[in-house]
Order: sequence, then C-alpha cells, then structure tokens
Amino acid sequence: MTREDSLALLARGEIPERYKRNIGTIGIDGQKRLLKARVAIVGAGGLGGTIIELLARQGVGFLRIIDGDSFELVNLNRQLLATERTMGMNKAVSAAARVAEINSEVETHAVPAMFNEDNATELLSDMNVIVDALDTINCRLLLCRMAQKLKIPLVHAAIAGFTGQVGTILPTGPGLEKLFKTTGSSETRIETVLGNPAATPAVAAAIQAQEVVKLLTGVGETLSHKLLYFDTELNIYELLHLG
Amino acid sequence: MRIEVRLYATLRRYALSAADGVLSIVVPEGSKASDVIASVGVNADEVHIVMVNGVSSPLDQVLAEGDRLGLFPPVGGG
Repeated sequence: MTREDSLALLARGEIPERYKRNIGTIGIDGQKRLLKARVAIVGAGGLGGTIIELLARQGVGFLRIIDGDSFELVNLNRQLLATERTMGMNKAVSAAARVAEINSEVETHAVPAMFNEDNATELLSDMNVIVDALDTINCRLLLCRMAQKLKIPLVHAAIAGFTGQVGTILPTGPGLEKLFKTTGSSETRIETVLGNPAATPAVAAAIQAQEVVKLLTGVGETLSHKLLYFDTELNIYELLHLG
Repeated sequence: MRIEVRLYATLRRYALSAADGVLSIVVPEGSKASDVIASVGVNADEVHIVMVNGVSSPLDQVLAEGDRLGLFPPVGGG
C-alpha cells in the first residue's frame, strides 16, 4: 500500500487496516488530513525521537527531520532512536530509517544539519506544523520567531528532571519569549542540574504529538496560548495561560 | 495581605519550610511580584516565568490579597 492507495480508500469511506485504530479518535476525514500533512520536527533527540515515532504510526504524510547531531552513549538513557547499533550515526538520518520501518506511507526528508537562521526559511516555509524538539533556549527562541514570521503553528516542549512543559504557539499569539528571559543568563538551564531521565521526554513528546494531531485534524482543543506544566515528582499538572 | 507563593523545580530549594515549594506569606499591600521574589530570597536571575493566578505576568505585577504567585525556572532540555 502507498499513501495514495490509503487516501483513495479513505476517499471511498473505507479504512486502511493500519489506520483502523485511529479512526474512532480522529475520523476518516482526520486521517485524510494527516496523510496529506507536512510536519517539521526540529531536533531528533529525547523529544524528537518519540514525536517522530508517534507521528509515523499515526500516519502523518510527510516528516522533515532536522538534526545535525550524531548519537552518543549519553543519549542511550532516554532517546528512543539511540541504540547501541546507531551510536555515531546522524540523528535525522537514523530517524528517517526508523520511520521507513514503521510506515512506508510516510515520506521523510532527513536534514543532517543544525537548524539556524540561514536555513530556517528554506526548511520550514512549506510546513503545516513545526515541532520544537530542540535542547537550547536560544535555538528555541529563533525557531519561534521564524515560525511566527512564516505564520506556521509551533508545538513547543522542554524538559528537565521530573519536570516538563508543553504549549502551542500560534502566529498571532504570545511567543516563547513569555517562557524564557531573552536577556542575561538565558542559557542557564535547570536540566544541567536535574538531568534528563528516561520517561520525562517521552511524556512531553507524547503530548506534543497529540497537539500536532489536533492542529492538523481540527479535533479537540489545542494548548494554544497555554502552557501545560508538569512535575511528576510531586504529581503537579498545571494549565497556565500565556496571556 | 496574605498571598501564596509556589516555587517550582529547582526554585523549591528556596522554600526551606515547605518541601513542596508552597509558601503562605504576608506581604505589604501593593507588593509587586518582584518584591515577593526578593522577600522570599529567590535569586531573580533564576526566575524565567512569573504566573499570577495561572496567568503569565510581568515582574512589576501588583499583587492582591489571596493571589497565587507561581515562579518557574527555565526548562530547556529536549
């Protein structure tokens, strides 16, 4: 089956076997929208690896995966795509190979380069949704500025220790400057103290993937202009408003 | 006036009397978020997000009786 085969079936109201368990949640129309959608995942580490896995299984038609890093031993505790076999391999390329194993209907474009101001427009402008799976604050702020400039929704998450935050940034709403000071020691991050354990990025990434599905299908209510903050150490889950 | 201060993640270490980071304190009328940050001894450089009653607010936000002030450090890992 190709993506076109699946879309043809869905157009006739029939459900491709591999998407049967999706339909009760997002409907036939939702699945068609996902298969026609284009999503950029910026970062293929702890957050990105899980997001890519979930979006491929859910059946998002095109994934552009951007990461210039290669897997190291220190990634093995939490990054789904980091295995003993992929050590030293580029993260974006490894992610595309994983997607091909999961769902050959999903087209991928692996970009084994760091996201920056020079390549931002070229890599993002033809996307329906952008996912922030980065790990530095300055890069996140640049990504948010570019997403808002290009008028593309951005799904943000960040984690540290037992703590994480997820939110959706729309072109006209408040941006990540509400969450990170842009002056002073903006790169002093608490994950350098609290660490990045196995489960926290998976929790945040799963919610990000769900946000992407909601944005693309129109089902449900997104976290736009909001921030879901969680601290699983104390069982705190708070929905905050970015104003 | 009495307000509640909630310190999150690494900022909880400033709440010596409360392991969960939640403090109920009395502050002068007209106090701003920045005044409270100073009075509880939190290093202002570590505070990236200020929430008053769950809404993102500036440091010079004037607080009212019963307000809930949430202070968050920067979370940047991925």
